Amino acid sequence: MKKNRKYSIFTIILALSLFVGFGWNSSLISASNTGDKTTNNQEEDVFRVGMEAGYPPFNWTQMDKSNGAVPIDGTKEYAGGYDVEIAKIIAKSLGKKLVIVKTEWDGLVPALTSGKIDAIIAGMSPTKERKETIDFTDIYYKSNLIMVVKNGSKYENATSIKDFSGAKITAQLNTFHYNVIDQIKGVNKQIAMDNFTAMRVALQSGMIDGYVSERPEGVSASRANKDFVMVEFKDGFKTSEEDTAVSVGVAKNSPLTGKINEALAGVSEKDREKIMDDAITNQPGTGKTTILTIIKDNGPMFLRGAGMTLLISMTGTVLGFAIGLLVGLVRTIPTPSKRSKKVIKNIVNGLLAAYIEFFRGTPMIVQAMVIYYGSAIAFDIQMNRLAAAIFIVSINTGAYMSEIIRGGIVSVDKGQFEAAQAVGMNHFQTMKNVILPQVIRNILPATGNEFVINIKDTSVLNVISVTELFFQTKTVAGTNFNYFKSFFVACVLYFVMTFTVTRILRYIERKLDGPDNYIMMANQMQVEKIPSLEDK
Amino acid sequence: MENVIEIKHLNKSYGTHEVLKDIDFNVKKGEVVCIIGSSGSGKSTLLRCINLLEKPSGGMILYNEENILDEKHDINKYRTKLGMVFQQFNLFNNHNVLSNCMVGQMEVLGRSKKEAEEVAMKYLKYVGMDQYINAKPKQLSGGQKQRVAIARALSMEPDVMLFDEPTSALDPEMVGEVLKVMKELAETGITMLVVTHEMGFAREVSDRVVFMNQGVIAEEGTPEQIFNNPTGERTREFLKRTL
Repeated sequence: MKKNRKYSIFTIILALSLFVGFGWNSSLISASNTGDKTTNNQEEDVFRVGMEAGYPPFNWTQMDKSNGAVPIDGTKEYAGGYDVEIAKIIAKSLGKKLVIVKTEWDGLVPALTSGKIDAIIAGMSPTKERKETIDFTDIYYKSNLIMVVKNGSKYENATSIKDFSGAKITAQLNTFHYNVIDQIKGVNKQIAMDNFTAMRVALQSGMIDGYVSERPEGVSASRANKDFVMVEFKDGFKTSEEDTAVSVGVAKNSPLTGKINEALAGVSEKDREKIMDDAITNQPGTGKTTILTIIKDNGPMFLRGAGMTLLISMTGTVLGFAIGLLVGLVRTIPTPSKRSKKVIKNIVNGLLAAYIEFFRGTPMIVQAMVIYYGSAIAFDIQMNRLAAAIFIVSINTGAYMSEIIRGGIVSVDKGQFEAAQAVGMNHFQTMKNVILPQVIRNILPATGNEFVINIKDTSVLNVISVTELFFQTKTVAGTNFNYFKSFFVACVLYFVMTFTVTRILRYIERKLDGPDNYIMMANQMQVEKIPSLEDK
Repeated sequence: MENVIEIKHLNKSYGTHEVLKDIDFNVKKGEVVCIIGSSGSGKSTLLRCINLLEKPSGGMILYNEENILDEKHDINKYRTKLGMVFQQFNLFNNHNVLSNCMVGQMEVLGRSKKEAEEVAMKYLKYVGMDQYINAKPKQLSGGQKQRVAIARALSMEPDVMLFDEPTSALDPEMVGEVLKVMKELAETGITMLVVTHEMGFAREVSDRVVFMNQGVIAEEGTPEQIFNNPTGERTREFLKRTL
């Protein structure tokens, strides 16, 4: 089936976790890999299933519970599709309540091994590589490879892969789809793309002539957007069963495997076809899509995404600012004269410098993976996604803000320090009453910058399935196949957020600065008689 | 009269460069002392050593017979006894005029807001800046800033006032208003130590004039002695150039 991705990101997590020096040991891994351990973390009567909810007709996100859709955990949205129907059958046979956990594709396997979900039902193929980390049940769907091309192009009526000689063809990165392109003689193989979104946009814009996909995805694409046509082959690609089959992923040695197989055995070949046909018919976004209909259908989803983005970036900026203030303050303490204190100061400064260098020197997207999945795999800590997101943004902003604040403190006129010292203030009194208020005013533009950057950069948190604006837009686009229009809406929303924030901060700056001239007013405050110095 | 400040064998050097060489110097209670001398003679450094904005390299500074260079001595408490007025005013830019005079009282002396405000208003009135209590430093002229700075120092009710070239950064027409305040202050009997280039002020107001040259006290005496009958060659040269 789709997606034979290797565990590139999973491997990065492992390597980085070791690098960072997590207390790693084999018993810990095996502990979190066993099924009974994971079920201990969850309520016993719940069956938690991970899927992207953005890969129709297998799984998608919709706004209501029509056509038997199931609520997505932690959101107000619903998941529907072939995978959801299969999950319902399995949950019923297990006698447990079905919970759908919306998870990014790259996050599915880590989520399973770290016990955040009980099973992956997401159109996943049971490949050898995956079998090294997780177990698979029996097959629950089998599909053929097809080619999606542009409507009206010369490849529209192709019947054999030979017809694609000389065509610009690509497929999704790290999938077997990409490997089979080599079977076309004389093909102009393009660089693999990260996701279907990118390939569909590339196809629409004429950058490529076609991409390799599977039948359900092809049917959906051509139904949703008239620009796309699916080419089915009489003389097609040679594939192995492990590629075209789809089965349920479960934790190694999970007691669930047998029970799920029993449940799947009750679904006949005919039932499967029926479920798949229904899924293809029911999948959203088959009508005419305009920007207005996208907003109308998905308005709440966009707004919730924007709200989440704003919440994370604002909390992250505020907490990061606090961290930065603290670190900046400690780093500018004057060197004490006592030797023992000097050593302590040097150690603390060293640690703080290491913190700043590490978080400034690594991408936030990698930190997100390490912290969210790494903590679960290495330490068995199940972090709340939102908490993890805020944590990551905060410590990141903190690292940048520390340097901004340190620079701000250094740039305050030396006379201000001296005047404060001359009235007898100690370091912290000086900082609190005189220096920091000026620093904060001076670094306000830089802080605004960080806030704006955070609004935009929270989009990388979609890798840990935080339902911020980018993640929501991907879901919307994944179901209506209108990438330009969907992302245009997101684009406008991002701009509105950043522009508003910049304006507000500029207003605060002006307010803080006050006028340059003092208009002397009659002084109402001090009317009582003040004794002169001579009376003293 | 007893000595408020006694300085013994004070040295200050930056690297190999000696700014102050073996200074012996006393200030009596209620005395107004002006320190004059050419640029780089060490007069500002001497003043800044007294309230420890510069750390002396050697010697002793006694304040009411206590050695303030002793490690156990509470520097911040000591500094409240000295009111400092800077050449560049150094008003707290983030505070308005009133609050400039209150923040030290409240934070360091632990006075209540009400008390601090009363004291601050008393001294702002004294320097003639009570009409400007809500102004921010950037809204004031240099002379106004310096008067507020004097009120800020006085609000801490110090024993000794230190002035570090208080009129050197002012436009000529603003020098007068600051000197007037300083003169009035001198008449109240508060101990004052003034580093200045204003020879007229030094002559008129001070009880004693100290002439510094190349890191040492070259000559000291009453204004009449220094200005009318200087004994040292350097003093004569300096006065000839400045008067």
